Amino acid sequence: MAEWREYYRNEDDEVEEDEEDSGGDYKISGRDSLVFLVDASKEMFIKGEDGEPSNFDMTMQCVRSVYTSKIISSDKDMVALVFYGTEQSKNPRNSFKHVYVYHDLDSPGSQRVLDIDKLLGEKGAQFAENTLGCGETSLGEALWCCSNLYSDIKLRLSHKRLMIFTCRDDPHGGDGAKDRQARTKAADLKETGVVIDLMHLTKPGGFDVSLFFCDIVSPPEDESELGIQIEPCRKLQDLQKRVRAKELKKRAQSRLTFSLGEGVNLAVGVYVLARTAMKPSAVKLHRDTNEAVRTKTRYFHAHNGGILLPNDMKRSQVYGKKQIVMEKDEVDEIKKFDDPGLVLMGFKPMDRLKLHHHIRPALFIYPEEEQISGSSSMFTALLLKCSEKNVFALCRYIPRRNTPPRFVALVPQREELDQSQTQATPPGFHVIFLPFADDIRTVDAHMGPTASDEQVDKMKEIVHKLRFKYKSDAFENPVLQQHYRNLEALALNMLEPEPIEDLTMPKVQMMDARLGPLTQEFKDLVYPDDYNPEGKPAAKRKTAESGGGGAEKKPKVEMSQDELKNHVAKGTLGKLTVPVLKDACKQFGIRTTGTKKQELIDALTMHFSK
Amino acid sequence: MARAARSALVLCMDVGFSMSNSEPGQEPPFEQAKKVIQKFVQRQVFAENKDEVGLVLFGTDGTKNSLAIDGQYENITVHRHLMMPDFELLEEIESELQPGGQQADWLDALVVCMDLVQKETMGKKFERLNIVLLTDLNVQTSTDQLDVIIDNLKKAGITLQFFLPFPLDGEDRADGGGDGPGPSAAPARPGKGLNEQQTQGLEMVRNIMTSLEEEDGLEEVYTFSDALEKLSIFKRIDRRPMAWPCQLTIGSSLTIRIVGYKAVTEEKVKKSWAIVDAQSHQRDDVKRETVYCLNDDNETEVQKDDTIQGFRYGSDIVPFSKVDEDQMKYKSDGKCFSVLGFTKQELIRRHQFMGDQVVKVFAPRDDKHAAVALSALIRALDSLKMAAIVRYAYDRRSNPQVGAAFPCIKDKYECLLYVKLPYMEDLRQFTFPMLENNKKFTPSESQLSAVDALIDSMMLVEKDEDGESVDIFKVNHIPNPQFQRLFQCLHHRGVNPDDPLPPVEPWLKRVLERPQAVSALCQAPLQDVKTKFPLKVVVKKKAQKTSADVFGSSADEPDTKKVKVDEETEFNLAEIAAGNITSVGSVNPVRDFCALIRQKTVSFDLACQQLTHRIEQLLGNRSPEYYTKSIACIQAFRDQSVSSGNAELFNSYLQSLKRSVPDRNLEEFWDLLIRDALTLISKDEVDGSTISKQDANQFLAFEQKEEVQAAPAQEDTGDVDDLLDMM
Repeated sequence: MAEWREYYRNEDDEVEEDEEDSGGDYKISGRDSLVFLVDASKEMFIKGEDGEPSNFDMTMQCVRSVYTSKIISSDKDMVALVFYGTEQSKNPRNSFKHVYVYHDLDSPGSQRVLDIDKLLGEKGAQFAENTLGCGETSLGEALWCCSNLYSDIKLRLSHKRLMIFTCRDDPHGGDGAKDRQARTKAADLKETGVVIDLMHLTKPGGFDVSLFFCDIVSPPEDESELGIQIEPCRKLQDLQKRVRAKELKKRAQSRLTFSLGEGVNLAVGVYVLARTAMKPSAVKLHRDTNEAVRTKTRYFHAHNGGILLPNDMKRSQVYGKKQIVMEKDEVDEIKKFDDPGLVLMGFKPMDRLKLHHHIRPALFIYPEEEQISGSSSMFTALLLKCSEKNVFALCRYIPRRNTPPRFVALVPQREELDQSQTQATPPGFHVIFLPFADDIRTVDAHMGPTASDEQVDKMKEIVHKLRFKYKSDAFENPVLQQHYRNLEALALNMLEPEPIEDLTMPKVQMMDARLGPLTQEFKDLVYPDDYNPEGKPAAKRKTAESGGGGAEKKPKVEMSQDELKNHVAKGTLGKLTVPVLKDACKQFGIRTTGTKKQELIDALTMHFSK
Repeated sequence: MARAARSALVLCMDVGFSMSNSEPGQEPPFEQAKKVIQKFVQRQVFAENKDEVGLVLFGTDGTKNSLAIDGQYENITVHRHLMMPDFELLEEIESELQPGGQQADWLDALVVCMDLVQKETMGKKFERLNIVLLTDLNVQTSTDQLDVIIDNLKKAGITLQFFLPFPLDGEDRADGGGDGPGPSAAPARPGKGLNEQQTQGLEMVRNIMTSLEEEDGLEEVYTFSDALEKLSIFKRIDRRPMAWPCQLTIGSSLTIRIVGYKAVTEEKVKKSWAIVDAQSHQRDDVKRETVYCLNDDNETEVQKDDTIQGFRYGSDIVPFSKVDEDQMKYKSDGKCFSVLGFTKQELIRRHQFMGDQVVKVFAPRDDKHAAVALSALIRALDSLKMAAIVRYAYDRRSNPQVGAAFPCIKDKYECLLYVKLPYMEDLRQFTFPMLENNKKFTPSESQLSAVDALIDSMMLVEKDEDGESVDIFKVNHIPNPQFQRLFQCLHHRGVNPDDPLPPVEPWLKRVLERPQAVSALCQAPLQDVKTKFPLKVVVKKKAQKTSADVFGSSADEPDTKKVKVDEETEFNLAEIAAGNITSVGSVNPVRDFCALIRQKTVSFDLACQQLTHRIEQLLGNRSPEYYTKSIACIQAFRDQSVSSGNAELFNSYLQSLKRSVPDRNLEEFWDLLIRDALTLISKDEVDGSTISKQDANQFLAFEQKEEVQAAPAQEDTGDVDDLLDMM
């Protein structure tokens, strides 16, 4: 994720990218932290029936996946891994027995992932036995040790979470003093703002939370939340899901007033539930030391070389051969229509929301009781009624200051739980962005011949053979995965990156096998014998192939200096295409301000008219 | 590149004297016509297309046209030949377009325009040739050439548009009782106001238009006011969609040729702002430079060539050169639209649509076999309510996407609609507290029915006469207000460089508001909702960091505000427990101080003296734990000084404290004062104070230079010396 500051560097950029809120909430500064406190007693290493992995193994896989996902999505977060009930002890002052701090609280890196790998599987159990060993249990000591981890951190921590992984519901075997100590230490931790969760695992005879752990874990965030899951996790997926749901602190991108009119206002938080994950931007390093360097951009006067301050500069555009000049403030003012917020226009039946009216990924809103009390019940009433009447709310939306309005559809979504009683869909409204007239292009659609029933029926058979249940989290981004595998390989000095499985590729063989003769039958129905759909009619392609394959086929024409000079002199650079201009700039090492055609031409003209 | 359609257009405006006549209180037709032309040219300038525009005036005092020989075609002036419109033209219209004193035959003017169009479009390719006539028809015309003219227009493929001050069917309407307020509700002059020439002229207009375009021709006749309303909207940004030919594949051997077009995407302004020098307004005067520097104290600069590329991998930064990256990165094998499988449409959630566009997929225009094959797929999907999940790659260089292709069957065409779907990495699983079964938030029956009524009153669809429901607020018909406002401001600034920016145009404001009909209907239900739902703004805590936040407001260290709240109760307790307090102690100096002031057992001066003594002691420790306590003391000192109307002691103490900051290394402490805004007491707070509000506000800022000047001036006052002695 890109640093938000980068977006302010280029002032001319539209503020549209705004939503990159990597910092999330403006009010909370500081880092998130997460401590895994894992039981390392013998019971944890008992293998499940029919070769199921042991609880310990499952926990380590889960921790590993959190590490790697943190590396990708939030590399500033801090994570620690602590074992309790070990034979060996290792902690900062070695003042706690049977507590092993495997990873101190820090941001996860490649080495840590390798460390976890050592604890995985059969070998991992062996390794754990050698390094950790199983010993006495004192959860109180362990919690105390964890609280020291937090207090040793010099940075500001915004969100502190501690997850206990265990399959023992009575860790001290009835030792009341130890129980009491654990309770006290847990209370101390909670007082300093640490949220304690229990990730309890299966145990023969069932895990009884009420025996001991109900006093240790943090109370649910509000009375409604299912604080302690009744069922312990049996499967890795369940555990991962449960950990994942807690591991990320949800943060509002912004908090806004939702105005129904006549002074009826409620407060909502705006959340991003899906955003295209991008390859992070590169960091510039100093060649000699591999130390990160910062960039500074400054403006100076071309003639006298003086540094230009913001008010020494103005903004300009040229229209109809006339230069129009404005102050930076005025450019901002133009974008201001109203204060930030959501304003209700009215309601429409759901079928008025067109599938193809899509311009941006959706947002999500949820009431903010802390800003305007009563928001939640108003919001709930709206949610219930909208979903009952099958309508959506149409609103005008201004996300922040000096941003022009957009219209959005608020689509109600009621809460749904999955089989394991975990929330599958949260309650709230999805914010769907609607296009303005300018955003809809006129496509010259035409009616060709249509298919006969027989042809359609044959296709239905094909469709039927290839049906599957789509799940939105089923596909990994191969570009990102490859990128991180590459980095991993470089960071860990591996010979070559681990291969990735590209889930976006069609499984052609399997499809062919499932379809069998259907493909040919369909082709016989729709295509005449001499028709080859893979043949490329030349005439059609020429006009449209602007980007892709075209570049490959066309041999690169390098412009000679004379040719370019000629173009500059005659002012005919405009006739060249953008790729040619770009190549020319590259060829002569000319720096450009951007990649727009005019910018390229300007740069070339400057270079050659000197 | 697809070549944009270009058109040539001649504006032909009547400036004859009759155009300046109007009924009292009405704008003369001349002014209206001028505005139409202005708005039109303005739109053209900002649309930045290749259209060419000419301007011909008739009824002018002079004559300037190529047909004017032997006294023919007099009083007709070709003001501007066909060329791309620019600001110069706009300025000319603004300043030079004046009413003339003559009258000229509009048919003659039309002939001049035809001549202009034909001569000046020779050798150039235009898709459309158009002449726009703006006149009140108030002149004798010679009809003998009419047939020839119509014939020539048809032959040359020139289209005509008329803009008149009155509606074409004005007469009929007047006869029909005059209650039908036309589609535009234009202030039309009643038909009976037309004179004989105008009536005759109207007949001719009708004649020409119907013979050119038959029935539809009459739709090209507008009134000025109608046109103005339409033209005030800047042209929407119009882009020709680019065709993207590809092949849809299902398995290894089923291939269908397709063409994709971007159908919906967020349009951006074409031009960005260039940075220019404030004085010269020259872009070249501003140079931008990016330097790299090390993250050390000196910010040592590093040459660009001495930097390499790296990426963060968690806490590590991995050097990874551009060359290596290109070598190792994911490579896709070119453009594709490959079906991965088919799934139920309902499994694809609308809110999980990703990306910023919708692509419409058709069969190529000339390929009927592909059309049949694609049609079979579209219809099969449609009847099964399914969609295709596809891998989509625009070209070899772009990242592959996984998306959904939905069937779309319309009266006029069929296609697939492609939308990008999320990758696993894009999704964030947030859990939110439950709302529905939460006792605190469950709305009551009466609250629910209030919301029910509100929704009913605010429906943005209406039933028309045929019982069809009509959308009365179509967002996709609203022009993007951002562009409208931008062009309005650019135009305004272009014409009046020294004026401030104009306000948002009323029509634009209006389209962004709730429709009036709805706002009237929902009044009562909204009031009901307002009374049934108690909504109260929670007073927010100060967002700024206070000292309490820095050191944690844990139980043992009460923060300053808490002290204030607790005052009342604590006094009483203290009085009961300890009898009378006689001096400010070190355990709870704030409480003691406040008690002393209240009991008035010692003088105010003495109490302050004791307090400052304690503050100095606390500060002497120079450790953060004591800072909070000191701050609380200073806060109490200030509060009590304000309430007893004695600012002098506090102000002089604070000033001396400030002077001692550098010597005693109390910068950190001073920062806390700044955060809590504990500054001098100003005149506004206490009458006797010699400090102005502004000075008080600036006081906390630590400026070395000012410091030196301020110090000696203060040293003369006796109180300060006393206070300094105590330290």
